[in-house]
Amino acid sequence: MDEVTDVTTTSGEKVLPEHGSGEDPGERSGTPSPTPAGREARREPFVAVLYLLPALVVFGVFIFWPLVKSILLSVQGTDILGNPSGFVGLVNYTRLFSDPDFLQVLWVTFAFTILTVIPSIAIALLIALLLQSRIKGVRFFRTAFALPFAFSVATASVIFGVLFNPASGVLNGILNTFGIDKVQWLTNPDLALWSVSGATVWMQIGYNLLVLSAGLGALPEDVLEAARLDGASGLRLQRSIVMPLLTPQLFFLVVVGTIHSLQSFGQIKILTVGGPEDRTTTLVYSIYEQAFANNNSNYGYASAQAMVLLVIVLIITALQFGVLERRVFYR
Amino acid sequence: MKTTTKGVHSRRRLRYAVPAGIVSASLFLAACGGGDTGDGSTGEGGDKASGGAPAADVLDKASGVTTVAFWHAMDGTNAEALTKLVTDFNAQNTGKIEVKATYAGKYDDAITKYKAAIQSKSTPDVIQIYDIGTRFMIDAKQTIPMQSFIERDKLDVTDLQPNITGYYSIDDKLNSMPFNTSMPVLYYNKSLFKAAGLDPEKPPQDLAAIRTAAEKLSKKGGGPADYGFGAAIYGWLLEQFIATDGKEYCDQGNGRDGKATKVLFDQPEAVEVVKWWQQMVKDGYAANTGRDTKAAQAAFKSGQLAITLESTGQLGGYSKAAKEGGWELGAANYPHIKAGTEGGPIIGGASLWINGENHEDANKEAAWRFVKFLADPKSQAQWHIGTGYFPISKGALEEPADVTYRKANPLFDVAVQQLENTKLSKATQGCLLGVMPQARKASEDGLEAALNGTDPQQAMTKAAESLSAQIKQYNDSVG
Repeated sequence: MDEVTDVTTTSGEKVLPEHGSGEDPGERSGTPSPTPAGREARREPFVAVLYLLPALVVFGVFIFWPLVKSILLSVQGTDILGNPSGFVGLVNYTRLFSDPDFLQVLWVTFAFTILTVIPSIAIALLIALLLQSRIKGVRFFRTAFALPFAFSVATASVIFGVLFNPASGVLNGILNTFGIDKVQWLTNPDLALWSVSGATVWMQIGYNLLVLSAGLGALPEDVLEAARLDGASGLRLQRSIVMPLLTPQLFFLVVVGTIHSLQSFGQIKILTVGGPEDRTTTLVYSIYEQAFANNNSNYGYASAQAMVLLVIVLIITALQFGVLERRVFYR
Repeated sequence: MKTTTKGVHSRRRLRYAVPAGIVSASLFLAACGGGDTGDGSTGEGGDKASGGAPAADVLDKASGVTTVAFWHAMDGTNAEALTKLVTDFNAQNTGKIEVKATYAGKYDDAITKYKAAIQSKSTPDVIQIYDIGTRFMIDAKQTIPMQSFIERDKLDVTDLQPNITGYYSIDDKLNSMPFNTSMPVLYYNKSLFKAAGLDPEKPPQDLAAIRTAAEKLSKKGGGPADYGFGAAIYGWLLEQFIATDGKEYCDQGNGRDGKATKVLFDQPEAVEVVKWWQQMVKDGYAANTGRDTKAAQAAFKSGQLAITLESTGQLGGYSKAAKEGGWELGAANYPHIKAGTEGGPIIGGASLWINGENHEDANKEAAWRFVKFLADPKSQAQWHIGTGYFPISKGALEEPADVTYRKANPLFDVAVQQLENTKLSKATQGCLLGVMPQARKASEDGLEAALNGTDPQQAMTKAAESLSAQIKQYNDSVG
């Protein structure tokens, strides 16, 4: 019981300063007024820019300039050394959209995103709820379940590669004891995407679990108590009180998880190299293949794909903000 | 945890974080690819080739130590053997030449790095590039052909295996010095052959014979192995079948008479191989282990496969596995599509290129001496013993150390005889194609699709056609 009261106070404390910071603008506009007015106020934008400068420089050099560069590359041809070979207009784009394989790439990207985002959040949510119970050793489990977060994509992929090995892998070893025939996890075209997605879900769960556990830990005890006093319990409490209160975290995970999935690369490179039959070639992997693999250096064509990726991510994110965010309950 | 919660609660913060994350999607490419292209240095090599060999005495006139930067793609035991050779060379040239060897990543990474180096005018003096990058290296116009050094020195090159230098030559002119060389062979498990009642001294040498043997060897047919046959979905193997049948892989005389304009791996003979392979898998006599060569290797080592196709480079690993697993290993010539056809396998591996563009004459000369050193019989024998790669020098096979080595590894003689019996032709020289790495991958796409059920002709035709735009683009851009 001690723990519960603890949580209440922490969450109480946490809520208060946030309300405070929400009123910041009012406070700030109040503070400068006693000082000599005009000059300070005029200097403020300048000072603000100064503070932002380090961040702007980093963003500018590593994000915005490359973005501009990508746009420029996408309307140029590329010679065999990777140098831009002159303006070609929208040739890269028309080639892209007349390529039947590109449709498959988009489909794989879409399927991979669905297969990773939804399960990784659902499973993490389930575990987070279970970990709320006050059983003995819960801290151990909490750490254990969050552990995937500490693995790099490369490490985790190599381990999954060993598990998936058709001849000596653990997974087929387990199936074998039940008398089930060998499964070609990564070489069966109908199965490979599921296998890679499964590995990705495992890698994602740790982070999702951390976010959801933190969210659950910070639920306002007064609301929960009010609900309990009104006779809500069990599933009803979870569905009508906990879930709505958790929507900011869930929404955050959907948005960030989608972007993360759309950009996944390492596990595909290590586990399947985009195969079999390009059935695990996502948009990002296709960009890599065009730009760097097999002595390719079709930076123009690859940049056109990158632009398509950018537009897709923008659209999906805009949709998520437009549709999902309405249902998010911000306290 | 607290900060996470806070971040989540602040909806404003999220609004800004998300577009930033999106933008980073396109960052991936531009950061790596576009970085060096904007400096206007696009003209190098475009208008002139990088000339010929410098004067022979240029190094004698140079003062101090000339440093040779050498990028290679060897790792593991191969890297150890290479380091030893480099150390020996440096010891012999103390005070004059020092070679600094750098691992530039695997073949694909090394060539990508090399392209970036061309743009920043910082190519190494010597670079090791895979066989299928040969046409690209010629078209990049950065290097000095070996032939110009050979002619300058009036060097006798009859010691070099003509079937190996053939790959790297156009019109009998050697572009690069072959270095690590391997050949494809057929490996089989003699113990499994005996258990299946087959003659272990008569390995199958054509497709029909492999099929007959596999039927007896496979579990499906009551045999001792899981599968009678199995090899990786590896485009190189398909190239070999086409060559052993005496056919060419791309047009324009395998790209030796002019720039190739299309690949021919959808010709009837190649499709016949694919059809055969597909049927073997469908009937349960062959395993489909996918593209990863390691998967097929592991299956053969553990006795799940009785017959496989691999490079001579695997001889060491297979011999060791056989010894440890208590079975007997066999090796034989690479099979033909049909018995009695004239043709032979193409050598694979990598060669050494000397960069001339933006390099001092003293460096070019020092690089040549290093390359010459690596190609001499003694070095090649040492290299052969240390790595299992095929020596490019005939003399290396007569070095006492090499003779001893082959006595201990008698199966290697299969490869020696196979090479010596191969009549050099355009078919066995192999295809020179600017987009050869992509072509190999496309042929794997076709083979893989067929093994998973697509009609072989349709799969190979589609794969071949998928290359036409790339080949045209390549040829247009090199003019």
